[in-house]
Amino acid sequence: MCDIIKANRDLEKLFAFIICSLFELIQAGERDFDMDYIAQNAHCSSLTDKKMNIALHETSTQTIMDKLAILTDAAKYDVACTSSGVDRKGNGRDMGSCVAAGICHSFSADGRCISLLKILMSNECAYDCKYCVNRRSNDVPRATFTPDEICELTMNFYKRNYIEGLFLSSGIINNPSYTMELIYQTLYKLRNVYRFRGYVHVKGIPGADPMLIQQVGYLADRMSVNLELPTAEGLEKLAPNKHRKTILAPMRQIQNGIAQGKRELALYKNAPSFVPAGQSTQMIIGATPESDYQIMTVAEGLYDKFGMKRVFYSAYVGVNEDKALPSIQTASPLLREHRLYQADWLLRFYQFRVDELLNEKHQNFNILLDPKCDWALQHLEQFPVEINRADYRMLLRVPGIGVKSAQRICKARRSGALDFDHLKKIGVVLKRALYFITCSGKMMYRTKLEEDYITRNLLAEHEKLPFDKDGMTYKQLTLFDDAQENVSLFTGCREEADGESMQRFDSLMRRQV
Amino acid sequence: MEEYVLVCEDSMEGILTGVYEAYQLKKDMGIASHDSIHLAVSEPDVHRLFTTYRKIDADREKAEKVTNTMIRQLGSETWYRLTMAMASCFEDKADAVYHTIALGLRTHDRRITDRLQENCVQNVFQYARASDNELCHLKQFLRFSELQNGILFAKMDAKHHVLPFLMPHFAERLPAENFVIYDENQQIYGLHASFQKWYILQGADFDEERLVYSETEEMYQKLFKRFCDSIAIEVRINPGLQMNMLPLRFRPNMTEFQDQAGATLHK
Repeated sequence: MCDIIKANRDLEKLFAFIICSLFELIQAGERDFDMDYIAQNAHCSSLTDKKMNIALHETSTQTIMDKLAILTDAAKYDVACTSSGVDRKGNGRDMGSCVAAGICHSFSADGRCISLLKILMSNECAYDCKYCVNRRSNDVPRATFTPDEICELTMNFYKRNYIEGLFLSSGIINNPSYTMELIYQTLYKLRNVYRFRGYVHVKGIPGADPMLIQQVGYLADRMSVNLELPTAEGLEKLAPNKHRKTILAPMRQIQNGIAQGKRELALYKNAPSFVPAGQSTQMIIGATPESDYQIMTVAEGLYDKFGMKRVFYSAYVGVNEDKALPSIQTASPLLREHRLYQADWLLRFYQFRVDELLNEKHQNFNILLDPKCDWALQHLEQFPVEINRADYRMLLRVPGIGVKSAQRICKARRSGALDFDHLKKIGVVLKRALYFITCSGKMMYRTKLEEDYITRNLLAEHEKLPFDKDGMTYKQLTLFDDAQENVSLFTGCREEADGESMQRFDSLMRRQV
Repeated sequence: MEEYVLVCEDSMEGILTGVYEAYQLKKDMGIASHDSIHLAVSEPDVHRLFTTYRKIDADREKAEKVTNTMIRQLGSETWYRLTMAMASCFEDKADAVYHTIALGLRTHDRRITDRLQENCVQNVFQYARASDNELCHLKQFLRFSELQNGILFAKMDAKHHVLPFLMPHFAERLPAENFVIYDENQQIYGLHASFQKWYILQGADFDEERLVYSETEEMYQKLFKRFCDSIAIEVRINPGLQMNMLPLRFRPNMTEFQDQAGATLHK
């Protein structure tokens, strides 16, 4: 396919039609075809004198294995691979059920969770976003799945307990509506012919016909529309075919659809559910010069105004050389991504607001301390906190106390006072919490409530970073490091997944017991 | 003061019978506190002084009585916690469960499992958490392969006795399939026939060599391996993190890690 695209750069106007015709031919099983034929159909005389015979060897001889490799590879930069948010029991007849917390079925070599069969429908793309590996101007192997191939793969993987469901996205074939319709056909088949009841996450394609988005919403569990870049300026610079407005429109539509679906469900028990697991979005971090404050403000806006279930942050990985992008050697800002996820957690589970964490003066997160510790050190006047009396909200704000341990504390103290020994067993990380708490009026050791003193002690503990397991990985430093370049010392990072991460969060707490 | 240790069978029925007998003993002998009665699931190598050891046989009827009292008085949430603790592989689980039950019944506290200040509750909490974690892991990491006759077969190696908790999960999502889960450690099988109830089978012989896989099985295994390879982002490769999330002990039974020397890295 890419051969054709390159050969006919000058014929962009005819593009849509030609691709359409090619598709028909491919679907009809044609291997060789004559440009004349297409050109005649397109009523275009300028083509006929070119006499091109194009063999579609790539598409037609690809095995399903090749396609899977190409289309998985093309989908891997999409962050969300979560299967949470919906609890759907089996119906005793069809294959599949969903668990609210989601299930991760494996972890790939980069430590990210494999929960869904994450593939693109096609990596053909009419767009030319600068950061994207599948952009039109890249010479990469292209492939397209048929709906049946996707269904077969999903059913057979699911039955073997490899996956929890399907994550389907796609490059823009032809135009957004055409692509969305292909996705709809696939989902329709999967749900109604193959009768699959597992999890389906699907990408809403900005610019597609709202009717199509609506219809897909009734078949999918979660929909997401990628915000791509935190600000409209960034988007304009790096993704010339995409516009902030066309991205926000389907987001709003899905949000309204969900709200309406909930109302209908309250009235009629069997109303079809619309995107029951909610919608999510993702943005790329580090390709454009936004500050953490800007990014978090955008995220907070998305949670508040668009009712997002999750916002994902994806550390920019250089795949394309382009003067508008950071150099390809620039290390991926993994520590920054980690800090953003930590702050995201604080927004969603710890009742923090962005304004408390960052402001115009402090635009970026502290590299050395996690956002919660950093906040506590700036607000020492609110500490120490009495464990046996403080309210849940305040307990959550103590470094070293997580959601689970705060809940356990609240439950346990009903039947008697807690001391430090109990806290340790409950799962509180005392080496961090001890500076900020008292049990029955006593502190654990004699400590000073002083910013410098506590910072020094906290730093001596060495924060456990997910990508800093064996101390550090040695990498050559370049001269042109930027502020986030401390990150280049680390390799790999973890990506948080929705409900699983609550479990994981819990298990992390446990491990520290 | 004399103490009693009731040695019961290592099963839910056995432990619950032990609880019943302990109450009976306390009443018969006029013992003041539950603290001087203990349960164990195996006879200790060294017997303590001033302690009477008694062997208790599992009795279905008595176990059921205890179960009913428990659910009625302490609620099904507490009951679930206790069953998870009983399914774990820890030595003093029986004692922890017994004393938690005694404490709960004495104080009429349906939220007894929240009282983490108490030692026995703390232990039950830990044991239940351990088996619950393994249950979660197996829901994630169990892998079926298709045999020639269409039966799905999975092998696992569980530390705790979680198969009875695992079967309903898969029975729910694969109602039309015939499948077998074999727990190598406990030597038990979970059997599920299409659209029927599931069973636990004990004491059958098993020869893995005799399994014949279906024609497409190899292809799907290869496809999945390929998928796992392709999905990783090279610049983020992080075996340490992968190991945190997916402990090595599960990997021998997982499709995507088989036929790989070292079995830690995809690439």
